[in-house]
Amino acid sequence: MKRTYLAGVSLTALLMAGGAVAETVKIANISELSGPGAAAGTVWAHGVELAVDEINEHGGILGMPVEMKEYDSQTDPQVSRALVQKAIDEGAFALLGTVYSSSTVVNMLVAQMNGIPQFTASEAPSITSKGNPYIFRTNWGAQKGMPKIGSYLKDQLGVSKVAIAWANTEFGKGGHDSFVSIVEDMGLDVVADIPSEQGQADFSADVLKIKNSDAEAVFIYLTQEEAARFLMEATKQGLDIPKIGDSVLTSEKVIDLAGAAANGAKGHVALTIAADEPRVQEFADKFSERFGYSPDYNAMKGYIGAYTIKYGTEMVGEVNSQKLADVVHGLCLDADEYPGVLIDMCWDDTGEVSRESYMVEVVDGREQVSEVLPAN
Amino acid sequence: MTALRILFLFAFGIALFIAPMGQGNYIIYVLCSWLIFSISAMGLNLTLGYAGQISLAQAAFMGIGAYITALLTMAGVHWIFAVFCSISASFVIGLALGYPALRVQHHFLAFVTLAFNTLVFLVLRNEDWLTGGSLGLVGIPRPEFGPFNTMMQLPFYYFVVVCFLITAAAMAWMLHSPWGRAFKALRENPIRANSLGLNTTRMTLLAFAIGSAMGGLAGALQAPLVQFIEPGSFTLILSLKILLMVIVGGSGYFFGPILGAGLVVLLPEMLRFTDGYYLIIYALLVLVVMIFSPQGLIGLGQKLLASFKPQEERGDLKQGAQL
Repeated sequence: MKRTYLAGVSLTALLMAGGAVAETVKIANISELSGPGAAAGTVWAHGVELAVDEINEHGGILGMPVEMKEYDSQTDPQVSRALVQKAIDEGAFALLGTVYSSSTVVNMLVAQMNGIPQFTASEAPSITSKGNPYIFRTNWGAQKGMPKIGSYLKDQLGVSKVAIAWANTEFGKGGHDSFVSIVEDMGLDVVADIPSEQGQADFSADVLKIKNSDAEAVFIYLTQEEAARFLMEATKQGLDIPKIGDSVLTSEKVIDLAGAAANGAKGHVALTIAADEPRVQEFADKFSERFGYSPDYNAMKGYIGAYTIKYGTEMVGEVNSQKLADVVHGLCLDADEYPGVLIDMCWDDTGEVSRESYMVEVVDGREQVSEVLPAN
Repeated sequence: MTALRILFLFAFGIALFIAPMGQGNYIIYVLCSWLIFSISAMGLNLTLGYAGQISLAQAAFMGIGAYITALLTMAGVHWIFAVFCSISASFVIGLALGYPALRVQHHFLAFVTLAFNTLVFLVLRNEDWLTGGSLGLVGIPRPEFGPFNTMMQLPFYYFVVVCFLITAAAMAWMLHSPWGRAFKALRENPIRANSLGLNTTRMTLLAFAIGSAMGGLAGALQAPLVQFIEPGSFTLILSLKILLMVIVGGSGYFFGPILGAGLVVLLPEMLRFTDGYYLIIYALLVLVVMIFSPQGLIGLGQKLLASFKPQEERGDLKQGAQL
């Protein structure tokens, strides 16, 4: 009997030791690696990759290495939903992604059902307004940036008539609705309201309508490739009113695609490598060295998302999905102490983010910060 | 029906029931989507494979079915009633769309149906007040049948299996009825079919309407599966995908679309280990199948089987060929 007992104890000890050696922290990244969202999704995925490798080089999370799996949503909401389920089935305790809001609104329901925290790049207002306690943004939603853009148009540019060109998708519609209601409240006139399709190639009619509408400024709320095409068409037709957007319009990808046509575009951005912050510059250098191109806000979001999982988990002291979700609600991370978040940031109870932001302008193919705006 | 066929059907049925056991939710989800797309592809197979009318609007009918079911079930109506409405609406709209089919054929008909698909997409997207516009509809409930609740993934799978088996049985019955033979006659030679007293007008419309109704049923199942629908899910791309299922599987064969849907839905999943290359490999495989066997996989299988079977040639016919 004694021998059996001893054998049992030693076997258990052996198994536990074996378990400890093999233990990893499983996380998953679901993003748009192919399809129309590939431009944004790949950059985000690279940001995540960089952060995960750094975390592993510095001892992982709670001393355990991070095992990250990557899934391609093909920019298809239904595929993304299936893949979130797959990632959870395969044991991920926290998720990163997706970038496109139309995918995130679907797949976040699966994460919610399973109680798995999810850090998304999406900016559609609806994402944090549905009472999902497991969704966290890595950048604030469109509705938070709009008042700042509205007052910039009214007070700084002195505009009274404005046009809006927007993408008729979950992302664009959310932004469009909050922009229009805010500027109308401020007393501005929306003289042209032009929706466009995802993947639209020809913006000549859109630009022409805006040109003929007497608008004094145009607000451009399109995804990257479309924004670049719009800017090129605007230059071609000589549309010389201020072109204002958000993070997308002045992003590296748009500048790359639109070339000289991007010069003069202004954006209200939360994350930009033009920010005068040594941590951001260091990140940009590491990223360009590794992937051979300059990062944009999506890369920063991916990087911040992965680091938030690390910091949150270490605060909790164990790998626990529920506790991670609980700790991030109402959390504020100081970038001096937690350099992975790059810039100080806070989450509220809905998973919405606040941090300071910048007005930037594209000058000679580079983003330049013209003003720093406080967090709201 | 041969003993072999009965055995095969029996094995297929058993396989459907044991397939999800011990699998994660993800695999069960993929299996559900395979069965739902099979239903939709079977509908298109009836229109295209049996009656010979090309349609690029199957996604639109799935969309119509999905939206009607979603709106009704979200308003508290039971799924059974909602699915009835979805199927009826798709049937009636399919009937209306069938009219141009009487005037135009082949690629012209493809364009008419393509335009219809785009039209449905635009209506779904622009009529915000009803369909939620590009934001779509979220939180579609899954049906409950007394104590049997399909909220969890596994019960929902069995629910889909039952719907699939009923549809497949109805389809098999129809294909062996005079209607089925009339559809084939319509595909092979409409003038001859007409001269034999077949009402080709009625049969063309019926082929369209029944095929569309099956699309509607597939949509009515997809809405509670995904629990979210948006207009972007029912664009031309999906119609082409369903067409691919029918053609790769083998159009005009009963099991063709089921096999094709399996290939289109499951193969990308199986190839995922190849990382960035899986879409390329997938596309190449489809190309190879199409080049070597235009009759699809079932045709390819039959060719292979035929090559293994001993050739029984009648001496007199051989003689005849030489004359």
